[in-house]
Amino acid sequence: MNEPLIILDNLSIGYNSQAVLSGISLSIARASFTAILGANGSGKSTLIKTILGLLPPVAGCINTDTPAAPLKYGYVPQAFQFDSIYLLTGFAVALMGVYGRVRPGRIVPSGERAFTHECLRAVGADEFAHRRFAELSGGQKQRVLIARALTMRPDVLVLDEPTVGVDREAKDLMLEFISRINKERKITVLLVTHDFAAVRDYAGQVIWLHGGKMSLGSTHELLTPERMAEIIETGVA
Amino acid sequence: MDIIYQIFSPDFLLRNSIYTSVLVGLACPLVGVFLVMRRLVFMGVALPQISSTGVAVALSLPLWFGFHPSEHGSHSVHMLAFAGSITFSLIAILTLAFLERRGRGQPEGRLGTAYVVAAALSILLLSKNPYGEIGWLDMLKGEVITISNFDLGLTAAALTLIVAALGVFHKELFLVSFDREMAMILRKNVVFWDVLLYLLIGLTVSISVLSVGPLIAFGFLLIPALTAHKIARNMRQFAILAPLIGGVTAFFGFCIAYKLDLPVGPTDVVLLGALYAGIWMIAGIIPRIGLRRTT
Repeated sequence: MNEPLIILDNLSIGYNSQAVLSGISLSIARASFTAILGANGSGKSTLIKTILGLLPPVAGCINTDTPAAPLKYGYVPQAFQFDSIYLLTGFAVALMGVYGRVRPGRIVPSGERAFTHECLRAVGADEFAHRRFAELSGGQKQRVLIARALTMRPDVLVLDEPTVGVDREAKDLMLEFISRINKERKITVLLVTHDFAAVRDYAGQVIWLHGGKMSLGSTHELLTPERMAEIIETGVA
Repeated sequence: MDIIYQIFSPDFLLRNSIYTSVLVGLACPLVGVFLVMRRLVFMGVALPQISSTGVAVALSLPLWFGFHPSEHGSHSVHMLAFAGSITFSLIAILTLAFLERRGRGQPEGRLGTAYVVAAALSILLLSKNPYGEIGWLDMLKGEVITISNFDLGLTAAALTLIVAALGVFHKELFLVSFDREMAMILRKNVVFWDVLLYLLIGLTVSISVLSVGPLIAFGFLLIPALTAHKIARNMRQFAILAPLIGGVTAFFGFCIAYKLDLPVGPTDVVLLGALYAGIWMIAGIIPRIGLRRTT
């Protein structure tokens, strides 16, 4: 196993100081592919939002092994959350990923625009990037959002249920692509999903949230019928 | 054509009025783009009314203390009105935005209540003001006829500042509006950008209310943006079309009003409404060739 990149130390997560999940202690290795599994309301999104710094921890802390610079996250939210009133093209949405490197009031340099095109090409979204984001299919939107996350030049790619509303074929292609960038670019992947079968072939580590508890293990350890039944029945880690 | 020649003549008496109308027509819709995008249309209705209440309060205050502000010149009256307008606008927009961010209660209910209470308060203040029905009521109604060089200069400077700020920081303002979480991950100060946007909206509303009145300010804030949204294919077109529609309508509205001896502001708003209805019907009748093809 690679060196740990993100270490959660006795972390409690939740909203307005009310813990949804407590006592989370685990480490996520550099360049690993970790799936966060669980039913709706189990705390998956709360966990990644806490890791991303969007929510403060209720207790405990998150340490990252990047002494020189803060860890860069590329976040892929759920595509349906965006308001269709915005007349943004796929390219304009993807371009937002580079805004972190462009000072306020400055025009986006041509090099960054070219890099955005490159990221869109890498995810196979260049063909429809000029179309309005709101009019793209679920799978197309997800590709644009993955491209946007890649334009951030991330150390960690965090994806919140990217396969929701996507057909089987597109889902397989997307997971294949995420797996490839994990291996080729050595980007750590944190994938939130409730689709057990989808991650079986791709994730190395699984964090399973169930009944206010957390189970952690490798895909082969955790995603066996016996172990799954045990977790669902007892909620014990 | 004769009217247009007259209007462009250097001796035209209402020169400042048409310049002010066109300036408001160009600047308000650009701010309206953000109101429409952030689904703050009701705020666009309530804010001009609250702003005009600020004018009424500011102009009534000196009378309550026993002196008449117009004795110190029309500029001081205008600055006092502006101070009242901007104070009320900013307090209202920041409070309403804060309450909306907390997500409690009904935003429509709050805005509706703010609108009606502000309108009633304006009427009460003016009814107890001996000067209200003469000059100040005209100001609140938006009398676009008597605009001094000072007023025109103030309006032009403020609206230029607003348009420049929106242009320079459009990238950050759109990011924070479209995807707040992404902006936070990119370490943008989302509160700062929200406050800047609200300040620009508040300033635009204040200047417009003083120049053309609450009704017309509301019309120019929202109708051009809603019309442009029907036909624009992307944000760039949206941001160009909305001020263009506002500016052109302000100009032709003034020409029509001048020719037919009608009040300018209401003529502009009716013209904007007719244009919006026309575009809406055309887009509805021919949805297949739709004005919004992006491919």
